[in-house]
Amino acid sequence: MIAAPSFLRVGLRYGALVFVATLLLLPIYWLIMSSFRPGGDIFRYATDVGWRTLVPQTLTLDHYRTMLAGDMPRAVFNSAFIAIVTVTIGTFMNSLAGFAFAVFEFPFKRLLFAFVLLSFMMPFESIVIPLYTLIRTLEWTNSYAALILPELANGLVIFLFRQFFLGIPREIYEAARVDGASWWTIFLRLTMPLSGPTIATASLMQFIHQWDAFFWPLVAASTPELVVVQVAIARNMTLETANWGALFASASTAVLLAMIPFLLLQRFYIRTVTVSTDK
Amino acid sequence: MSSTAFRVPIWIPLAFVAPALLGLVVFRLAPIMIAIIGGFTGTSLRGETRFVGLRNFADLVDDASFWSSIEVTLLFNLLINPFQIICALGLAMLVLRPTRGVAFFRAAYLLPMTVSIALTSVIWAILLEPSVGPVNGLLRALGLPPQRFFRSESQALITLILVATWKGVGYWMIFLLAGLLAIPKELHEAAAIDGATAWQRFWRITLPLMRRPLAFVLVADTAINFLLFAPVYIITHGGPAGSTALLMFEAYQAAFALLNHGRSLAISTVILIIIAIIAIAELRLFRPPDEDSA
Repeated sequence: MIAAPSFLRVGLRYGALVFVATLLLLPIYWLIMSSFRPGGDIFRYATDVGWRTLVPQTLTLDHYRTMLAGDMPRAVFNSAFIAIVTVTIGTFMNSLAGFAFAVFEFPFKRLLFAFVLLSFMMPFESIVIPLYTLIRTLEWTNSYAALILPELANGLVIFLFRQFFLGIPREIYEAARVDGASWWTIFLRLTMPLSGPTIATASLMQFIHQWDAFFWPLVAASTPELVVVQVAIARNMTLETANWGALFASASTAVLLAMIPFLLLQRFYIRTVTVSTDK
Repeated sequence: MSSTAFRVPIWIPLAFVAPALLGLVVFRLAPIMIAIIGGFTGTSLRGETRFVGLRNFADLVDDASFWSSIEVTLLFNLLINPFQIICALGLAMLVLRPTRGVAFFRAAYLLPMTVSIALTSVIWAILLEPSVGPVNGLLRALGLPPQRFFRSESQALITLILVATWKGVGYWMIFLLAGLLAIPKELHEAAAIDGATAWQRFWRITLPLMRRPLAFVLVADTAINFLLFAPVYIITHGGPAGSTALLMFEAYQAAFALLNHGRSLAISTVILIIIAIIAIAELRLFRPPDEDSA
């Protein structure tokens, strides 16, 4: 803007900013606030809208106690276990491949890299049903392996690591080679310690992907022992005798457990994702 | 790229790429093959799998519910993709200028994307519940008639679009904001000195320079929306009267409700063909910028 923005213009702009923020945040606020409300109040003030709809008069942890007695602790353990194993093995495996695509020349490199790109442009959901056929044939249904193994290799993560490793000057690798370092040592001791932001972004992506997983666990692992967070909550909602308070408590827990790592790592995440996809 | 890469014995790069590539071949490529081959097989009453040629596909062509699902999926995508992109571009422009408090709003707009699609469905199913939900409570308090949202044949698809946009808009905003930030300020300043209005600058400068990020968001968003499943499964089950029966839900129903695996894999093949076309379009956008004369 060349002309000085008028008072009205600034007001309109902030009005719009606040309006959109309200639309986007109010549902999350209402969910979390309601989870601390006595059961009777949740829908009472949803139908009788006033200031009490947004400000609780009494706070209680009852719904969280009920939640802890249900299938939620098991589900949180399963989701966290699956996500942590995926992140640990996945980051290692995908960074190795990213390193090779950035640093080495080898036959069929372009073709294999195109395959990597295609694999992440076809979202996971598109292969859920045939993947189920595969897992069933291998008799892996209802196992942690079924929930973890298909999510380890990730084309987008390979791509992000490759972009990062491409940015390291060739002279650094040459110097290390002259000093007699093996490629394995170079990868592990030289490049990995430099790739903190990429590791953070990749870990966050794979963690969120597993934490948010719904369709695949619904199909591949339906036993109560293997229930994951998203499936547990969706199932509890469709029960005839839904305990709304406990449902609000579990949904709030699941939302916050995904939101906190995101808020901590969002700077890395946004920078890595936008810079990489811009190239 | 090839000029700076090192030539080493083949086994070294092989050892580095093997674990990840093996994973992609087994868990991405193999299922695609299974979908294509499986689309041509059927299961007899005795549970044997046998080759049935094009029968699954012929059955699909004759099946009114399949065509109605295709119609719903296309309508859904024709509406939701432009809508999400316009909203995301609007938000990106709203938080573009670094004025006071803008960092807070940027972060705030991203929060819904951290809510999983399954939880988004659960939350909005409750918010939009016709009799006890707070949205109708608010409408009544404002003296407006309450709506039936997901329970109404004419409103369900639009409601689904709004709910999916609530979750998705912040994510797409990131990419468009990065694109807007890359436009040199001098271009706008020079045009403004030449007397161009804000409206003219948007059409003549911003949009042409945003072609690449917009195209990227369009294809990536389309791929995701073609595969939307959780809200349909959790909230509407394809209803009322098939008005939200998206293709992915049809494939799921065929496999797990009708236990017709051939049909389900045939629908998966149709989905994979659509997604492959979108992915190839996306791949072209990943070419180096110099091949792309703007």
